[in-house]
Amino acid sequence: MTSGPVLSVRDLKVEFASRRGVLRALDGVSFDIGRGEVLGLVGESGAGKSLTGAAVIGLLEPPGRIVSGEVRLLGERIDALPERQMRAVRGRRIAMVFQDPLTSLNPLYTVGQQIEQTILAHLPVSRREARRRAIDLLKEVGIQGAERRADAYPHEFSGGMRQRVVLALALCAEPDLVIADEPTTALDVSVQAQIIALIRKLCLERGMAVMLITHDMGVIAETADRVAVMYAGRIVETGPVAALVGAPLHPYARGLMAAIPRLDGDRERLAQIPGAMPRLQDLPRGCAFCPRCPENFAHCHVERPELVTRGEHRVACFLYGDGLADRAGDDGAAPAPEMDGAPGEAVP
Amino acid sequence: MSDAFVRVDGLHRSFDVSRPWLERTLSGRPRETLKAVDGVSFAIRRGETFAIVGESGSGKSTLARMVVGLLTPTAGDVVIDGVSMTGRADRSRRKELRRRIQMIFQDPFASLDPRWRAGPIIAEPIRAFGLADAREADRQAADLLRRVGLDPADARKYPHEFSGGQRQRIAIARALAPKAEFLVCDEPTSALDVSVQAQILNLMRDLQDALGLTYLLISHNLAVVRHMATTIGVMYLGRLVEVGPARTLFAEPRHPYTRMLLDAVPDLAMTGRRRMAVLGDAPNPIDPPAGCAFHPRCSLATDRCRAQAPALRDGVACHLVD
Repeated sequence: MTSGPVLSVRDLKVEFASRRGVLRALDGVSFDIGRGEVLGLVGESGAGKSLTGAAVIGLLEPPGRIVSGEVRLLGERIDALPERQMRAVRGRRIAMVFQDPLTSLNPLYTVGQQIEQTILAHLPVSRREARRRAIDLLKEVGIQGAERRADAYPHEFSGGMRQRVVLALALCAEPDLVIADEPTTALDVSVQAQIIALIRKLCLERGMAVMLITHDMGVIAETADRVAVMYAGRIVETGPVAALVGAPLHPYARGLMAAIPRLDGDRERLAQIPGAMPRLQDLPRGCAFCPRCPENFAHCHVERPELVTRGEHRVACFLYGDGLADRAGDDGAAPAPEMDGAPGEAVP
Repeated sequence: MSDAFVRVDGLHRSFDVSRPWLERTLSGRPRETLKAVDGVSFAIRRGETFAIVGESGSGKSTLARMVVGLLTPTAGDVVIDGVSMTGRADRSRRKELRRRIQMIFQDPFASLDPRWRAGPIIAEPIRAFGLADAREADRQAADLLRRVGLDPADARKYPHEFSGGQRQRIAIARALAPKAEFLVCDEPTSALDVSVQAQILNLMRDLQDALGLTYLLISHNLAVVRHMATTIGVMYLGRLVEVGPARTLFAEPRHPYTRMLLDAVPDLAMTGRRRMAVLGDAPNPIDPPAGCAFHPRCSLATDRCRAQAPALRDGVACHLVD
């Protein structure tokens, strides 16, 4: 089983029970991440990318819960582990890096103490050995004068240096998987480049799997091997980074790329996607992107597209369904009963 | 530059960041000041967009706040349409001018009062400046909502009922309400998603074309600045290090810092260009390096750079360009 993917997520569904009924925040998310691979999870706020990370590491805030699907780490299911066992996985085998390094570090302890404590919590080593490893880790993430800096407090570091410390903290227990949630968003461009290079280097050298969650296509283009674009709780397109960034297929992915201002672009208008992502309580019944999609047609309003393979891409859009007519014929019987209760949908 | 609508002249602002008096006396430490903005001058012509780009701590927001009058400069002057914002004279003209200058802030969640409906939020400046009675103000607010791409019926909604992009539209409508001519926009799209950012940037451009607005745009995003600006100023540690037309500045950067910033921008075209990792962090502005503030991070620095701060000459402040 060890030759398989490090992380394998299958048909993950996460729901929140609320007064207005059950909200499905993740709806059938599936992906794999292999050893030494960076998967970029990209999308706008509310797409469910951070929630996917939280579901994998078992940090969903109630009332959020996984209602179906599987999360496997090196082949072993971890989505239904009791909290006690999950705590042995979290930090030890899956580490997490958050956006704001200042809130992930304890201001009252030196960075050395924090790393040592984390090592002692996860590994059977002596204090002296923990100290030695902490300094090695600080060196590995590129902190100059690590022996001296280990005795400094978080506020004595700059933003970029703090994020390096957080990365060192994540590496303490030699995890199989690192989930990095917007690791460079709080940093300046010049420092962002350093941290991205560091994440890539660590991923290759240590053969870790990295799940990189970000809204920034530029960061994805430089760091990820494969990309999954999320929209309203579903993956709408996945593929190798060059294919996806260079020639996206899904109308949302295309719109997203065209909306980014370019450095070489002159003062022409930006392509814009009208409207905003729907709220979970009023998701449209067909494709969730359909109300904003310039290329939608009748079928998009009634059925939700599944991911289909198209070259190197997998894309969930009826524009790319081979033989849409056949598919509609096959599925025709299944969605029919649901259609009774849905008013206002014009189905020609 | 006699045709300048906005002229910023040798603007300085320092903040006292000393320890408390007792601690200072006991430990014998001197007073410390942070020079947030250190001698910045530029001019904006009517109907143009001047953009300031820089990293956090470069002083760009302090500069914006001084230009709209939210902060008093330590030295220097801001002259808008011939009226000095700092002089003792012109008091009544300055009051009239205040109507014509408005600001748009970064966070539309913080810049709108959660207990006010959108209509009154937009109508308030109209009434505050005595431009119209209440009925007329409401009618104008409805027009403004339509102008920024919202529905006049939205006037009855509260800020929490809008998305981030819609809220920023309301903030723009409020800024336009007193018939403003000069908008200072401090990171107007940094809190927004890319697809919504494109909507707001396009709206800002459309309004500029329709109403002849003048913008001072503050941003850390080089691509946004490139897209919006006619002229760009690059700020580093409180000083402008390079100023030039948007068209040429990023195509042929002259200051090493501008070049470094451009190299650090992620490569979306995936040309295989390796992003040049930048050395070190920006220095502490309380204790800036002697000479050129950029020299510790500059690979081309010479002894002269370490000793003497270069002046902004012909659009660039660098000894090596002379």
